Amino acid sequence: MPKSIKTGLIAFAFLSYLILVGLPGRTGGNALPLLAFAAALFFWYRLRRESRTQSRLVPQSGAAGQAKPGWEIGHGPQAQVQTGAVTRGGFPLRVLTQGAAAGATAGLLIAIVSAVFAEILGNGVAIQPVFDKIVPVNVAALLGVSPGAVAEAQVPPLRYLISALYFTGGGILAALAVLAGMTDAARAAGPTQWRSRLSGPAFTSAGRWLVIALPFALLAVVIWLGLPGVSLFGNDRSTVRLLFTLIATGSGLFALRAATPGRERLAVSVLIGLGVLCMPFVLDQFQNSVMGIVFIFVMMGLGLNIVVGYAGLLDLGYVAFFAIGAYTYAFVSAPFSSPYISGLLTGLGVPADSPLLGYWMALPLAMITAAFGGILLGIPVLRLRGDYLAIVTLGFGEIIRLFMLNLGELTNGPRGILEIAQPDLFGLAPEAVSGGLLSSQGWIFLLALVSSAAIAFVAIRLNDSRLGRAWIAMQEDEDVAQATGVHLVRTKLLAFAIGATFAGLAGQLYAARQINIFPENFSLFVSIDALALIIVGGIGSPAGIVLGALALKGLPEVLRGVDEYRIVAFAALLVIMMIVRPAGILPSARRRFEAAAEEAGAGEIAPEADETFVKKQENDKGTGADGEKGAMP
Amino acid sequence: MAGRSTSAQPLQLDWATVQKYAIRAFGFTILAIVLWRVITVGLAEGYPASFWISQALNGLVLGGVYALVALGYTLVYGILFMINFAHGEVMMIGGIAGFFALQFAQARGWMEGPWLVVVIALLSIMLIGMAASVLIGVTLERLAYRPLRQAPRLVPLISAIGASLFLQYSVLLIFGVSPHSYRKPELISGGLRLGDVFIPYTGAIIFFTSILLMLALYFIIQRTKLGRAMRAVAEDRATASLMGVDVNAVIVLTFMLGSALAGAAGVMLGFHNTVVKFNSGFIPGLKAFTAAVLGGIGNIPGAMFGALLLGLIEALGPSALGIPTEYKDVIAFTLLVLILIFRPSGLFGEVLSEKKA
Repeated sequence: MPKSIKTGLIAFAFLSYLILVGLPGRTGGNALPLLAFAAALFFWYRLRRESRTQSRLVPQSGAAGQAKPGWEIGHGPQAQVQTGAVTRGGFPLRVLTQGAAAGATAGLLIAIVSAVFAEILGNGVAIQPVFDKIVPVNVAALLGVSPGAVAEAQVPPLRYLISALYFTGGGILAALAVLAGMTDAARAAGPTQWRSRLSGPAFTSAGRWLVIALPFALLAVVIWLGLPGVSLFGNDRSTVRLLFTLIATGSGLFALRAATPGRERLAVSVLIGLGVLCMPFVLDQFQNSVMGIVFIFVMMGLGLNIVVGYAGLLDLGYVAFFAIGAYTYAFVSAPFSSPYISGLLTGLGVPADSPLLGYWMALPLAMITAAFGGILLGIPVLRLRGDYLAIVTLGFGEIIRLFMLNLGELTNGPRGILEIAQPDLFGLAPEAVSGGLLSSQGWIFLLALVSSAAIAFVAIRLNDSRLGRAWIAMQEDEDVAQATGVHLVRTKLLAFAIGATFAGLAGQLYAARQINIFPENFSLFVSIDALALIIVGGIGSPAGIVLGALALKGLPEVLRGVDEYRIVAFAALLVIMMIVRPAGILPSARRRFEAAAEEAGAGEIAPEADETFVKKQENDKGTGADGEKGAMP
Repeated sequence: MAGRSTSAQPLQLDWATVQKYAIRAFGFTILAIVLWRVITVGLAEGYPASFWISQALNGLVLGGVYALVALGYTLVYGILFMINFAHGEVMMIGGIAGFFALQFAQARGWMEGPWLVVVIALLSIMLIGMAASVLIGVTLERLAYRPLRQAPRLVPLISAIGASLFLQYSVLLIFGVSPHSYRKPELISGGLRLGDVFIPYTGAIIFFTSILLMLALYFIIQRTKLGRAMRAVAEDRATASLMGVDVNAVIVLTFMLGSALAGAAGVMLGFHNTVVKFNSGFIPGLKAFTAAVLGGIGNIPGAMFGALLLGLIEALGPSALGIPTEYKDVIAFTLLVLILIFRPSGLFGEVLSEKKA
C-alpha cells in the first residue's frame, strides 16, 4: 500500500472518531472546513516527516551532509542539507501528489460513510441507540446541509463530492505548506528551532523585547476589558477577558525565559510579579474564581512535582493529601456538622456552631496533618518502585476516598461538610479591608498566588539543595544513590512529606474556596489532573507547571461549550506528549539537556520503522535491565 | 573475622535485621487482628453454612472473571515489563460490543429460539466482544505503547493512564453516560437449587467458561510454538530475536491473547452485573491487577489462583470481618498494599523469569 493511501486511511479513522464523538454537530456550519483543517494538520505532519526522510536519502556532497551530534539537531548545516535536496527535480510534484492522494482517500471515505448514514437516516431508521451521536444534525453538519434535508433524504449528490473535495484540498494545502517550509532554510528546521529559540537565550534582541513586553500589553488589555462600557463580542466579554488573563499569565513565563539572567531577569520578574498581584483586584468574581482554582492546582502541581519530578516516585494517590488538608481545615472551621466531631467537641466544652480555628491558625495544622499523612503512607511503600508504587498509591487514594464516603460519623459521608469559614485578614473580612476592591474569590486567588509563590520558592531552593541532589540521584538510580551515601529512607520520606505538605496547603485553600466540600471533590481525577499538568508543562520545571495549570485548568473554563471533550482531549494529549515530547512544553533545564543528548544520540529514526529493529534490540536490552531492578528489591 | 561474627551472631542486631523482624512482626500482628476479628465478629454473627457457601460460589465466579483480566496484565508484564493500565478499558469495550451484539440478537428473536440457536448466539456474542477487545488492544499497543518501548519506565505508564482515560471517555461520548443493561435470555436466567444453596446458571457458565479459557491459554503458552516464542521473549528479548523469534509479532500476539481474554471477561461480567457503562472496566481492572500481583506478576498460574483467591476474599471478607459491604473495594486495595509490603513477589513468586524479581 502506498504511504499516502495509508496516511489517508489513518486520517479517515481519526476523522471518523471525531464524527463519532459528535464534534461536527457542535461546530455548526463550520464543521467541514474545521475537519478539513484538522486533517490538513495531520497530513502536514506526515508529509513533512516523509519528505525529510526522502530528502535525506538523496546523497549529499561535502561536510554539510553529515548531521552533527549536538544539542540542536536540525539547526544550521542540516537545514541547508534539506534545502539542497528539495530543489532537486520531481520532489515537489511527488509531495503534492502524495498530499492530494492522502486527502482524496480520506475525503472519499468520509463522503461514502456520510452518504450511507444520510441514506439510513433519511429512510427513518433510528440508529440512535447504537451510536448516540449519529443524528441528522451531525451528518448534516458534515455535509453542509440543513438537518431537515437529511431527515427527508433530500441531500443533493453534489454535496458528497464537495465534502470529499474539502479533504483533498486539505491534503494539497498540507503539501504546499510542507514545500514552503522546506524551501525556506530558516523554517526548514521546523518547530525544534522555534522552540529552542523561544526557550533559550539565542534571541534576536527585538524579538526578545517583544516577548518581554507582551504580558504587560495583554495585562493592559485585560484591565481595559474590565472597564465599564467596553464591549467586545457581545455578552461573551467575561470569557474573552478570562482568555486574555490566561494568555497574559502564560506569556509572563515566556517573558521570564526570554530575559537574560541577572539584573534584567530580576527586574522583569519583579514587574511580572507586580502585574500578577494586581490581577485579583481588577478581575471580576468569575475570572477570579477560575484563576483561584488554577493557582490552587499550581500549588498541588509544585508539591507533586517534588515527589514525581524530583524524587521520581510516581504517586497516583496524591489527592489523598489534598483531601487531608481540606478535611482538616473543614473539621476545625466548619460549624461541626459531623456528629462524631461535634459530640467530641461538645464533650470538651466547646460551644457548638462556632468555628474552632481560623484559616491562619489552621494553616500549620493542615500542613502537619498532611505531612504526617505523607509519612504514614510513605512508610509502607518505601520498598516499592516504579509501576508498583503507582498502583499502590492509587489504591491509597481510593481507600481514603472510600473512607470519606463511608465513615459517615467522622466525615458526614456523601453529604459533605458545609459552611467552611473564609480566610480572614487580621480578623477582618477582606472585602471590608480593601474597600470593596477585592471580592471573596479575588481574595482566594490572591492567597493562592502568594502561596504558590512561596511554594515555588521553597521548591526551587530545595531542588538546588543537598536534599534536591539526593532526590535526583535517587531518581536516576536508587542503588547507585544508596551506594554513594544517600539515605534512601529519609530522602524518600522527606519527598513524600514535603509534597504532602504542599498538597495539604492547597487542600485547605480549596476547602475555603469551595465553602462546602464533598468526597466527590477528591476523586482520582484530581490526582490525574495534577499529574497531567506537570507532565504537559514539564516535569521538574516550576514555570512549566504554571503553564500546565493555565492550559489544563484554565482553558477548559474558556471552552465551556466543549467541556465534555475536555477529558478526552487531556487523555489524548497525555499519550501524545509522552510520544512526542516527554519532557513537557517548558522542560526543566536538566531534562532539556537530557532530551537533547538523547535526540542527538538516537538521531531522527522513526520509532516504528521496521528497519530500525536491530537498533531497538540494543536499546531493549537496556529496558530489560531496567525491568530487572525495577520490580522489587 | 568470620569466626567472630558467627560467635556473636545471637547478639548482632544490625539495622536490616531489625527492619526485617519489625516488618514480620507487623505482618503477624495484622494477621492476628484479622483472625481475631473473623472469630469474634464474623463467625459469632451466626450466618448459616449455606450463606457462606453461596457467598463463596459467588466469589469464585467473580474470581474467574478477574482471572481472565489478570492474565492479560500478567502476559503483558511478563514480556514488556509494563503495566497495561488500560487493560480494564479493553475489557469494558468487549462488554460494550457484546451488549450491542446481544441487542442485535434479541431484536431478531434469536434469544427465544431453540436452545442450540441460543447457545450459538451467545458464543458469537462472546466472540464479537473478544474481537472488539482484540482490535482495541492491538491498536493501543501500536499507537500508545510501541513508540515508547525504549523510553524510561514511567513514560509508558503515563501513556497507559492517558489511554485508559481516553478509552473511557470516548465510550462515554459515543455511547452516552447511561448504563447499557444486558438482558439474559430465558434459557440461562434460572438456576440450580441444592438445598439452601442457589447456583444461578450464569454463574456456573461464567466459571466454567473462564476455566476453559484459562486452560486454553495454558495450552497455548506451554504447548505451541507461539507459546514457546512468548516464553523466550519474556526470558530475554535480545537473545530470542537472535534465535529467530519475531519479537514485534510476539508482542502483538501477546496483546491479542490478553485482550481476547479480557473481551470474554467483559461480556461475562456484563451478564453477571447485568450492566455495562463507560467506567465499568476501571475497578475490575484494578482488582484484576491486584490479583495478578497477588499471584506474582508475570506468573500465569499465579494470576489464576490469585484471582480466585481475591474473588473469595472479596465475597467473604465483609461478612467475615463484620463490616459493611461498601468496604469490599477497601479490602481489595488493602490486600494489594499488604501483599506488596510483605511479599512483593506475590504468593507464588515470579516464575516466568527469575531475573525480574
